[in-house]
Amino acid sequence: MYSTPYDYLPMAIMAAVAFGFVAVTMAATHLLGPKRKSEVKLDTFECGIESQQNARFPFSIKYFLIAILFVLFDVEVIFMYPWAVNFKEGGLEGFIEMLVFIGILLAGYLYIIKKGALKWE
Amino acid sequence: MNTLITVSLLGIAAMLSEVFRFKKFIQTVFIAAVTGATGLAVLDWGTSYSYFRFMVLFDDYALAFSILFLVLTLIWLLLSQEYFCNENTRADYFALISFSLAGAIILSSFSDLSMFFIGIEILSVSAYVLAGSNRSDIRSAEAALKYFLPGAFSTGFLLFGMALIYGATGSFNLSNISLWIIANHSNLPVMVNAGVVFLITGLLFKIAAMPFHNWAPDVYDGSPTPVTAYMSTIIKAASFAAFYRLFVSCFSIMADWWTPLLVIAAAITMIGGNITAVYQNNLKRMLAYSSIAHSGYLLLAVAAINQLSKPAMLFYLAAYSVASLGMFTLVNRMGNEQQLDKLKGFAHDNPFYAALITLLTLSMAGIPPLAGFFGKYYVFLSSIRSDLIWPVIVAVIASLIGVYYYFRIVYNMYSKPAASAHVVSLSGFDKSAILITALLTLLLGIAPALIADII
Amino acid sequence: MNLTLLLIIPLLTAVGVLFCRNAQQVRWLSLAGAAVQFILVMALLFAFYAARSNGNTDAFLFSERCMWFAPLNIQFITGADGISVSMLLLTAAVVLAGVLVSWKEETMAKEFFFLLHLLAFGAYGFFISLDVFTLFFFLEIAVIPKYLLIGIWGSGRKEYSANKLALMLMGGSALVLIGMLGMYYQSGANTFDLIRLSEVHIPYATQLQFFPLLFLGFGVFTAIFPFHTWVPDGHSAAPTAGSMFLAGISMKLGGYGCLRVATYLMPDAAAYYAPYIIGLATIAIIYGAFATLMQTDLKYINAYSSVSHCGFVLLGIGMLNQTAITGAVMQMVSHGLMTALFFAVIGMIYQRTHTRMVRQMGGLLKAMPFIMTVFFIAGLTSLGLPGFSGFVAEMTVLMGAWQNPKTMYRIATILACASIVVTAVYILRATGQVAMGPLKQHDEPLNDARWYEKLAAFILIAGIVAIGVAPFWLNDLITPGAKIIMQKIVSLSR
Repeated sequence: MYSTPYDYLPMAIMAAVAFGFVAVTMAATHLLGPKRKSEVKLDTFECGIESQQNARFPFSIKYFLIAILFVLFDVEVIFMYPWAVNFKEGGLEGFIEMLVFIGILLAGYLYIIKKGALKWE
Repeated sequence: MNTLITVSLLGIAAMLSEVFRFKKFIQTVFIAAVTGATGLAVLDWGTSYSYFRFMVLFDDYALAFSILFLVLTLIWLLLSQEYFCNENTRADYFALISFSLAGAIILSSFSDLSMFFIGIEILSVSAYVLAGSNRSDIRSAEAALKYFLPGAFSTGFLLFGMALIYGATGSFNLSNISLWIIANHSNLPVMVNAGVVFLITGLLFKIAAMPFHNWAPDVYDGSPTPVTAYMSTIIKAASFAAFYRLFVSCFSIMADWWTPLLVIAAAITMIGGNITAVYQNNLKRMLAYSSIAHSGYLLLAVAAINQLSKPAMLFYLAAYSVASLGMFTLVNRMGNEQQLDKLKGFAHDNPFYAALITLLTLSMAGIPPLAGFFGKYYVFLSSIRSDLIWPVIVAVIASLIGVYYYFRIVYNMYSKPAASAHVVSLSGFDKSAILITALLTLLLGIAPALIADII
Repeated sequence: MNLTLLLIIPLLTAVGVLFCRNAQQVRWLSLAGAAVQFILVMALLFAFYAARSNGNTDAFLFSERCMWFAPLNIQFITGADGISVSMLLLTAAVVLAGVLVSWKEETMAKEFFFLLHLLAFGAYGFFISLDVFTLFFFLEIAVIPKYLLIGIWGSGRKEYSANKLALMLMGGSALVLIGMLGMYYQSGANTFDLIRLSEVHIPYATQLQFFPLLFLGFGVFTAIFPFHTWVPDGHSAAPTAGSMFLAGISMKLGGYGCLRVATYLMPDAAAYYAPYIIGLATIAIIYGAFATLMQTDLKYINAYSSVSHCGFVLLGIGMLNQTAITGAVMQMVSHGLMTALFFAVIGMIYQRTHTRMVRQMGGLLKAMPFIMTVFFIAGLTSLGLPGFSGFVAEMTVLMGAWQNPKTMYRIATILACASIVVTAVYILRATGQVAMGPLKQHDEPLNDARWYEKLAAFILIAGIVAIGVAPFWLNDLITPGAKIIMQKIVSLSR
């Protein structure tokens, strides 16, 4: 192998940029941002529902379930875009493959409903 | 390929059994489908077809490992009967097991890095859930979390490694990568080496080899025993199948460079795993550490990377997994506290099954004429062939340490019971599981040629 | 004659024992199996003589081979020369006596006798194998039953002793395994076939590398110094039949392996390492003898004296001449019979007096004359009284040793001779204390030997006397085998 220290230079630059970005943004927000210390300003969320306690607090699993299921189906839909763009090239075969894909998704959806994951009460 | 499709459909069917109310028959369907999938794999034997634009390649290696996973699953079903008792969760567990089996089959057949990643994820994600499946036990939840975090972490390593390899070679396809590396062998960019190191790190995490093993004992200990059995046999076998397939098809040309890494990991895994196991008084934990130690021997076979490593790995995994399943049947019966003391008096009540478990234990310790011995022997042979003499000496010393704690199990079974002790008793399914595993262990020991030279 | 029969009978007996209903059936089946085996081995002896007198001069008779595991070139080759036949005789006699001595074993009798027969199976297989792999295979089979015999039916610090013994012996066999694999690849022959390996010339460097592994590995079994420490603990914790098998059979596995595998296949290295072997053997002889002096437990006395006696075996092998090697084999047979008898008698005494401490016994000759007579015979054989086998064997070893004119060898020989005096001291002291003097009080009335104990003692004594009075038959049996080993060594020194 002919790995000289020079070969690692891109990585070093990459690392420097990565760490540097974090350091710079953190420093910059501290230095540049205006500092107001009213009660409202120190609240966790300035707008929306008033926060109850800190984050280490048990909350209903339903929120989490809905959120995770949303993410799941949301991400799956992304696969539709490349299919839509290449619809003509994919032809019938592509169409059937997509049907299979959606079928599997649908099976999952049925399963979720049956399991009662979407029931709020 | 048919095997993979069958198993995937089985998973979906298990999910839908919840919807269409055929949950009662799901076990029958499962057994039928897994048996059928095994049959399909056997029918494909000797062929070598590539599917999905060279994403997977079902050659004899893939088929042999698929058959191994499926057969092990069937045996595993015997010991986990009670695990599937609960009507509410039954279908889910079957679905998860089927999906992870599909992942395992992908891991033995991938010919593209992206399939490798998909396989590992399907396998692991199901396993994370299974580890936490005992919802009433906080240790099970702990196991799931402790499994998930390092698992996700190691996936990161794998991805980074793949990205670097892709960056250097411009391809995800194993044979393209291999061709590129052969062509540029004399002047490999450092990116490839870095990628290989990342891949090794990620895989060492997955197979729980030292020094990346810390998650394993707690996870194995906390998970419900059937899941532990599944993890330490089928999942481990799948990870090793992937490990070897990846390295032999991509990086064998630069083996000189990465072999030392694996050999060192193997040596500390064997010694460390066995020494730690000696200090355990809990059988389940002892088996967890012994499972870590067995990873070390298997790593040696991967590191040897010659014609003998493939059969050596297959044989070792078969021998080890079969014996493990038998041992975990016993652990499963010991309830929540698996102290070795609880085994006292077992031989007095169940002389026949104690003898069979002795057989399994001795096989794990690597004593002839049992399967475990030939597994170790095969590994040593392939390592010596690649001139890895000192690792073999380390391995022999490690297996001596292993003999010590395996003997403790036997010794406890044959000791007199404490006055008011509750002696472990076996159900009919347990007995058949132990009988089958013991017979297989004996059979593979007496006639090792049965599976040793098929791939 | 088919040597595989010798494997089938113990295996069938072992399996059959598992299907017995009660202890009664178990012991009669065991006895029948052991007796049939004994008769078979006697038949083998005569068949061997017949074949030799018909002018069959092959190195190994009754040889058969079949492929076991083709991809790794593992074959199952059997065959016997005089050395193996004499070892088989010893094994058959000790097994028969061992079964008889354990006649009253009631706790888990099935498992006990199963393990005894399994051990016998391993030993028989070891002595007839002509393939290094199967040889190793049977060696390991013979280790496991010992662990269980000691761990389950033993006494005293049984868990510690069982672990120590099993680990040291497994360590020994692990060394053998590495040596064996090394030989497989580096000899260039790519075979485990002992006969093929003996025909190729293994490179000198390879020999130097792997001979110590093999010799030490097998040496552990035969209590080579400093790996002898399992002997006293293991023997004293084992049940009677276990001690008999350990000392009578299993320590001989090591000696046989040193001779048949290490020395036979790698004569150059044997010549190179001979001074070290002799040094270790002499230390074992002297150390064993003096350590015995300090013991007060009968089993420890016999165990340490076994270390000393097995030193003679290694001394004989290390001297590398025909007389000495013949002597070494004779010593193995003689010591096997004698020590089995000794342990059997100690077991009988212990069953009656519930102690093995010499100081707590006395005047037993009056209470149990038969047992004490046997005890005397065992003791006198041990100290080398002419007329018993011990004298013949040690004499042959020392005669062979004296043929070697080097100064160091002379010193070793003289020291070994001198140890016999020490042996006499401890044997006479122990026998005197136990048998003579006023009878000490015991809880139960002391009975003399039962029929099975008498039979066991009779079989072993018959062997001892047969060798002691008429050593020529054993000598004729062993000498051709020793000659073949010597030919390789001599052909090299030219």
